[in-house]
Amino acid sequence: MSRLLAAIGARALSASTELGGMVIMLLHIFRGIFTWQMDVMETWRNLYKVGVKSFPIVVVTALLVGAIMVIQTGALVAQYDAYGLLGWGAGFATLREVGPIMIGLMFSGRVGANNTAELGTMKVTEQVDALRALAIDPMTYLLVPRFVSIVLMMFLLTIVGDLTALLGGALTAQLLLGVEPLLFFWSIDEYLLTEDLFNGLYKAFTFGFAIAVVSCHFGITTSGGAVGVGRAVNASVVASAVSIFVLDYLLTYLLG
Amino acid sequence: MIEFHDIYKSFGSKHVLRGVTLTVRKGEVMFIIGQSGAGKSVLVKHLVGLLKPDSGRVLLDGQDITHLKEKEFYPVRKRCAMVFQNSTLFDSMTLLDNVALPIRKHFNVSVKESRRLAVEKLELVDMAREAERYPADFGDGMRKKVAIARALTLNPDFVIFDEPTTGIDPISANIVDRLIRDLSDRLGVTSIVVSHDLRSIFGVADRVAMLYQGALILDGPPSVYRNSGNPIVDQFINGRPHGPMEV
Amino acid sequence: MSEEQATMQAGELAPPAELRTGFIHDVVGALGEPVLHVYREVRNILGLMLLTFFYTVFRRIGWSAVFEQAFNVGNRSLFFITVVLGFLGMILIFQSGFQAQKIVGDLQMLGALYVQMLFREFAPTITALMLATRVGTGIAAEIASMVVTEQVDALRMNNADPVQYLVVPRFIATLVMTVALSCVSLVVAFTSGMMLGWGAFGINPATFYNTALLEWGDLIIFLLKSTAYGIAVPIIAAEAGLSAFGGSEGVGWATTKSVVNASLAVTFLDFLLSGFGYVVLFS
Repeated sequence: MSRLLAAIGARALSASTELGGMVIMLLHIFRGIFTWQMDVMETWRNLYKVGVKSFPIVVVTALLVGAIMVIQTGALVAQYDAYGLLGWGAGFATLREVGPIMIGLMFSGRVGANNTAELGTMKVTEQVDALRALAIDPMTYLLVPRFVSIVLMMFLLTIVGDLTALLGGALTAQLLLGVEPLLFFWSIDEYLLTEDLFNGLYKAFTFGFAIAVVSCHFGITTSGGAVGVGRAVNASVVASAVSIFVLDYLLTYLLG
Repeated sequence: MIEFHDIYKSFGSKHVLRGVTLTVRKGEVMFIIGQSGAGKSVLVKHLVGLLKPDSGRVLLDGQDITHLKEKEFYPVRKRCAMVFQNSTLFDSMTLLDNVALPIRKHFNVSVKESRRLAVEKLELVDMAREAERYPADFGDGMRKKVAIARALTLNPDFVIFDEPTTGIDPISANIVDRLIRDLSDRLGVTSIVVSHDLRSIFGVADRVAMLYQGALILDGPPSVYRNSGNPIVDQFINGRPHGPMEV
Repeated sequence: MSEEQATMQAGELAPPAELRTGFIHDVVGALGEPVLHVYREVRNILGLMLLTFFYTVFRRIGWSAVFEQAFNVGNRSLFFITVVLGFLGMILIFQSGFQAQKIVGDLQMLGALYVQMLFREFAPTITALMLATRVGTGIAAEIASMVVTEQVDALRMNNADPVQYLVVPRFIATLVMTVALSCVSLVVAFTSGMMLGWGAFGINPATFYNTALLEWGDLIIFLLKSTAYGIAVPIIAAEAGLSAFGGSEGVGWATTKSVVNASLAVTFLDFLLSGFGYVVLFS
């Protein structure tokens, strides 16, 4: 019994250490943003890299997610012969929950893992020290541009993703269920509120925030050579995934 | 002039430096030699604030820089540049941008101007032709030259070279050696070279300091090392596996 | 590299006209390149899958390695899976309960529908996605580190096939554990959903035990999905690890590739199997 408690305690301690480190890093990043110390070239480069790199995967995921939600809702709707509710059912779940979560998870994998890997490699090959030796602050040069890019792009890509998911859903509805796209979109228009869209977007923004903080933190604190980089990426995606779900619950509860 | 006074540094239970006192005079090429793990790299990292000593002081031209905060080290780092062992060029940029980055950051010039100035530095190390290519395309020797060019961008008074010739081919090693000598002779730069390359030691150094088990055991011009009378120094210089030195 | 330099310096010759790239060439290349890239990836992954199947069936299996991997994959993911699925259960019930209250007003069927959804969709898929992140990156990182430090080459020198030695144990372990953990997810999400339903909406927990809606098809789909995911995730992760090169940068790249490909594969398989389920099992 005491070993179980010790294990839980150790886990809690290490989790809080990481969390503390993230908060401190976040303060540095905010200070960099609000005193306009961002490196503009690096920020542009990262916006391009993050946006372009994750665009195809977000689109594909969104199409699939839209399709899946229609399939699952379709089974229910067919039972009650309520095809008019298909657009609403699938759309609602997609915009509010499944869309942001799935896009968040994909984004965390594509961008978060990549970010941690890059920063981690730079750390273990002493490139971060090289920056410090050149009297360039790694925080403003490396972290702020990445942070800004990830949060911004996650938000924008979720908007794109939401639309794509609805399209994918409409397509599936037509092909699999024989529901006319017109009916599908009427259903969405009739029952879904802008509130549902924004609900999802607030979540997307928060997820992006979490992914940015987590991936930067685990990247910049990497140690231990090639193995360390692998471990850091692992920790980064796991922490991002947990954060997404915990934050999603909190936001669902707060936003109603 | 650089002074280390009685530096102690441990990492956990490993006592790497035990009371090292060393002076580096202006304009000279000082080699710090010793076994792997003797504390050479650790010692020089104190000079640019990448490490802080457990006790002791570091002085740069009379100023005590031992306990400066990170931001306060920036002016120090502009005067005292460091070339890392692994060259540590930024993989994501071209060679030109690697050298242009510190110029752009520290001298208020446009991107184009910083690139022009960077080309000048690359010409110093004879790498200007390859400026638009990426570090991954090159071997250690050439990367090292670009790293040196980058270190020279802020026109430092002091340059630290961490094992510049370790693991690179003899011709490139020779080129690096001559560069270091050139810097001192032509530009009056004070160089601190961490090395255990004997050819460089006897070819380039003005003075050589040897560290053994965290302490300084000999400090003088290269000639002193040929017949030092110290059995440990003797063993190291002649590369003998058996002797009083714990390997 | 030096040869190339020497050749170029021997009079800066311009490349022949046919090799000079133009705009159209670039556009077609840009379109075709991703397709080729995807084709190559899929081909590699399928190749590895077949090879792994072959070794699993026709060669001796090192069971101690399998158990060690099973512990890594299963026991050490347990906490993570429990936390995520626990929250997921609460989220799902909260959202659907809230909306059902507004639109339909009656929350009686919520429990039964929820259980059905868990079986068909959320338990296997979310479990697999989480394992793709945790286990997928773990396997890829491990194997990639071994590749870049030349340990895999050393294995080959000792006549040990890397696929048999490294991939097969992880494959078997992950497959079994994915199915097992999916079952755990079912229980966890069920429990957390039921508790939230009772706590937030006053839904009678007994309605959750209502198996009137549950069919054999739901169970089949659940098993199909978790098995498919359990095969896909380790194979993709191993393929990503084995294709690593270039030091710590290569390890980072391999882990990223692993999580992306595995997540995408799970989503795609989900789509296929859901469609299959709908068309075949529920029409």
